[in-house]
Amino acid sequence: MKKVLSMLLIAMLVCTSVFANGGSEKTSAVNPDGTVTIELWYGAAITEAGPIPDDWVGYQILRDEHGIDLHLSVLPSNESDQDVRIQAAAAGNSLPDIFMVSRPVLTRLVDQGLVAEVDDYYALMPNRTAQQYDADSKAMTTIDGHSYGFASPGSVAKNEGLLIRKDWLDNLGLEVPTNLDELMEVMKAFTYDDPDGNGRDDTYGYGAYIESDATLKGYPGARLFPILGAFGVDGLWCLEEENLGLNVYKPEFYDAMVYIRQMCEEGVMDPNWLTYKKDDFRAAWKQGRFGIMKEQNAAYAAESNYAPFDANFPDGEWIIIDPPEGPDGLASVGAYDQNYRIYAISQDAVDEGKAEKICELLEWMSSDEGYYLCGWGQEGVNYVLDENGIPVTGDLGDASFSGPDGQVYTQLRNMVFYNSDVELASRYPTYTTATSGKTMSALTALREMQSKYWTAAIGSGQMPTPNADVQRFYEQTLAEFLSGQRALTPENWQAFLDGFNSIGGKAWNDEGVAYAQANGLVR
Amino acid sequence: MKKKDSPELMVPKPNLRREILRHKDVYLLLLIPFVFYIVFKYVPIFNAQIAFKNFRARDGVLGSAWIGLQNFTDFFNSFYFWELLRNTLMYSFGKIIISLPVSIILSIAIYECTHYALRKTVQTLAYLPHFLSWVIMYGVLFALLSPSSGILNDIIKLFGGTPIDFLSSVHAFPWVVLLSDAWKEMGWSAIIFIAALMSIDVSLFEAAMVEGANSWQRVRYITLPAIKPVIVTVLLLKIGTILDAGFNQMYMLYSPQVYSIADIIDTWVYRQGLLNFQFGLATAVGLFKGIIGMILVLVSNKLVSRFNEGSSLF
Amino acid sequence: MAEAKTKKERIHLKPKMHNKTVRPTRADRIFQICVDVFMVLMLIIILIPLWSTVTLSFRPNTYIGTYLQGMFLAPWDWSFDAYKALLGNNGFLMAFTNSCKILVGGVVCALLLTIPLAYVMSVKSMPGRKALTTIVLIPYIFDVGMIPAYLLVQNIGLMDHLAAVFLPGAISTYNVIIMRQFFDGIPAELKESARIDGCSEVQILLRIVMPLSKAIVMTIGLYYGVSFWNNFFNAMLYIQNSNLNPLPILLRNILMAAGMNEYVEVSAFGNAPIEAIKAASVFMSAIPMVIAYPFIQKYFTKGTLAGAVKG
Repeated sequence: MKKVLSMLLIAMLVCTSVFANGGSEKTSAVNPDGTVTIELWYGAAITEAGPIPDDWVGYQILRDEHGIDLHLSVLPSNESDQDVRIQAAAAGNSLPDIFMVSRPVLTRLVDQGLVAEVDDYYALMPNRTAQQYDADSKAMTTIDGHSYGFASPGSVAKNEGLLIRKDWLDNLGLEVPTNLDELMEVMKAFTYDDPDGNGRDDTYGYGAYIESDATLKGYPGARLFPILGAFGVDGLWCLEEENLGLNVYKPEFYDAMVYIRQMCEEGVMDPNWLTYKKDDFRAAWKQGRFGIMKEQNAAYAAESNYAPFDANFPDGEWIIIDPPEGPDGLASVGAYDQNYRIYAISQDAVDEGKAEKICELLEWMSSDEGYYLCGWGQEGVNYVLDENGIPVTGDLGDASFSGPDGQVYTQLRNMVFYNSDVELASRYPTYTTATSGKTMSALTALREMQSKYWTAAIGSGQMPTPNADVQRFYEQTLAEFLSGQRALTPENWQAFLDGFNSIGGKAWNDEGVAYAQANGLVR
Repeated sequence: MKKKDSPELMVPKPNLRREILRHKDVYLLLLIPFVFYIVFKYVPIFNAQIAFKNFRARDGVLGSAWIGLQNFTDFFNSFYFWELLRNTLMYSFGKIIISLPVSIILSIAIYECTHYALRKTVQTLAYLPHFLSWVIMYGVLFALLSPSSGILNDIIKLFGGTPIDFLSSVHAFPWVVLLSDAWKEMGWSAIIFIAALMSIDVSLFEAAMVEGANSWQRVRYITLPAIKPVIVTVLLLKIGTILDAGFNQMYMLYSPQVYSIADIIDTWVYRQGLLNFQFGLATAVGLFKGIIGMILVLVSNKLVSRFNEGSSLF
Repeated sequence: MAEAKTKKERIHLKPKMHNKTVRPTRADRIFQICVDVFMVLMLIIILIPLWSTVTLSFRPNTYIGTYLQGMFLAPWDWSFDAYKALLGNNGFLMAFTNSCKILVGGVVCALLLTIPLAYVMSVKSMPGRKALTTIVLIPYIFDVGMIPAYLLVQNIGLMDHLAAVFLPGAISTYNVIIMRQFFDGIPAELKESARIDGCSEVQILLRIVMPLSKAIVMTIGLYYGVSFWNNFFNAMLYIQNSNLNPLPILLRNILMAAGMNEYVEVSAFGNAPIEAIKAASVFMSAIPMVIAYPFIQKYFTKGTLAGAVKG
């Protein structure tokens, strides 16, 4: 009896201790060996690949030359998961020393007093500040007059374009549409006149999916920006002096909704658009399901992304076109903001006296050594420099910075990249497509996309976000209008606006207007 | 309750102290699980006091200020409260009504099937869908149901019908939720009933057969009564968590055009509470769900013990 | 061997009686037909979506066509890129190992905790049994959510241990109650006679109850195993050391990757289309359970209990 019990006890103890792999005990600022432990939660560059291996040379360099014992932890790849994980750690008052965080969550952490002010620390990293932290960047992390984190540039601005299947236009003898009426005609022809000549009714005019948020891309989202832009209502907020406020209040927004609804009724919109997720949408255009879309430059033109389309349709060709003009002559590819990744420092880290070391770490990342090491890995192992000083893969194979073994060493590159010409040239090399032999480059595509007309909405990312019920009301009602559950009539539209105002939309709008005015976002 | 006493317990009530002493090795056996249970289940309940507090992380659970029932009233007064409650109840009752019978019938069919290969195949395949996470299930449902490329709509079109956007129509969506859940979980929940069926004394069947009962009667009078205690237990346990209508499923499947029929309490809490650092509110809703579940379990347990002796929870 | 078993079970179901009067009636035959039709129907309902996922995982990068056509993709057109990419993923092996540790540790702990608790709850004569049942039920009904549990794990220093993934769920009330239900079904006279023979409760549990409860212990073990194997949320919250991440984290990162990745020009998966990767990841992650299930099924033989009682 006792034997059994003690066996049980031992078995349990063994179970719990065997599988207990050394925890991260809270350390004082300075370790016995004189190094300072810095815990960093980062957003991985290639989320589906593994974490940085333990033999990364950066660890050694930081320990030997800077006395920093760096502990890395990858954040989940999904934004909501990230928010949950950060906020759980915050609730336990156990935030890491430095961590990536979205602006809405940052606001709440500041409110809880968990995040340190960093106004004074920019001066400690002159090089990095010059490279990454300009006035817009500082504005992104400023809450009530103080900066609460470092905002590094995210993706390149204006990196999307309106694309059309040139080969379909040629097959049907059509011109590139320049206004909404012509666009509708082209979309109809793409849907009903068998543009790919395969004898089947399996094509649509426009392809999209719902990609919306509560700051820049209001429902129905960025994929429809070129249509909304023709009515001057692209983007959630209008930051122009005259019509400052939510775009949905503009009468033109109703007209844009009517046009989109018409696209659905005419059957020219891929009916899957309400159920597509990003991956489905991208798989769909590679299968030639629709002829007009708004797509990101690399998702369209980078070698691995374009390859399946090229193999499926060697004669297929997408071209980047000007956004169509609306009834009042307006046109825009979409609203754009500068994208940032915010890294905040916890109040605890500052209290423990780690702030200077954290700045030293960040400054090292922006030194030549750190920049190349984090961005591309080791020279000769993960990359080689070409004649223009651009890091390229050369013949390094799997160990190269884009190969399966090498890419894990570049997981931190989002912390060092700032969209310099070297980066862009390295990331978007010119190549020849395998099947059709076209010469393509995502960089050329990017430059062309950037040359089109865009609506500036700089600062949208800082705008106040609504309460979840307000956001639901907004999205749900617009979705019901578009899916036809709710008839799109002026009366119903007015009823929607009234309901929106009363549930808290008006308050949200007023808050946003006040914020924009107070922070100089109005143009 | 009084009727339930077995003859053994009818003997004069034994001395409590002696009874406890007599069972001392039972208590010893209980010791570790009990301590574990208290630590892992009751400490969080103690921490749940943040439901009545304005939780500030720096002040901790104990240091945060009491705010009474503010978090609860915030939830009750929220714009969509009644709709959330309605949707939640609709899905959880719907799932009980559809999934439970399906898995019972499946388990009996597996038990009764005489084709060895067929039985083994179904038994082995039926539980596989349980492994598809809802992220994947979205892909499966998309492949089946999407209006312009789904398998089901392809078939509808083949017969000249108009495609239906199952995932974004308020009429079809609840059925997609209920049936996809039944499909995913039926084999998995059947396992427990199969385990119960396995312990039926087969000599009962032989006896019934001798007495001339046919197969239907066998199922009706032997099989079902034999697994009834397990069915009742599963049902009562499901009723205890009646306000959990399946967060993961809903979070993956819903979209703005079906919010009115798809938003449930848990998805609301996720958006409003967990993503917004309103942990007091989130915990308050958890407690509210618990109270409702508690009441329902007590009531249904009472009903069960009145009509079916011996199969109540406690 | 399988053949032999079938015969044995048939004997159980349709015993050849000594008096030849018992033979299948019309109702019996209709019953069997209904059962067979239902089983075939179930097979189809289960197979179609599963098959569509299987073919999806073998889809080549250049596939054009609907899902319906995809289901009939010829095996020689299948591409194994998705599986190659997954197995070649440098995080995969590490995550798989961590998951196995969690699985083994979790199931052992969970059964060691659940069996005694369920057994004690089924000892009818024990004073305080009702109170115990209530104590066990309350936390099941009051699920207080993420933060109170997070604070606990943090306070007892479990953060960043693999045990944090399974310990909070190591006693599932649902499983305890179900197991108790089965223990309750064990004939009281068996236990009673053992008591009279002077066995202690522990001995009764080990010598009488456990041998009769293989099926349910296996079932509950499977339930636990699968819940630990699939647990994403605990791992996301409690595991910070990226080298300790289990498989569900990796899979989630794969499934959700497209949502975040700004640098879409680089993919860890080379040529394989993302839909195929997603589908393949399901099968990869289900493998241990698929292997384990037939072993567990072995214990699912009819009349286990009855036979034991007689013997």
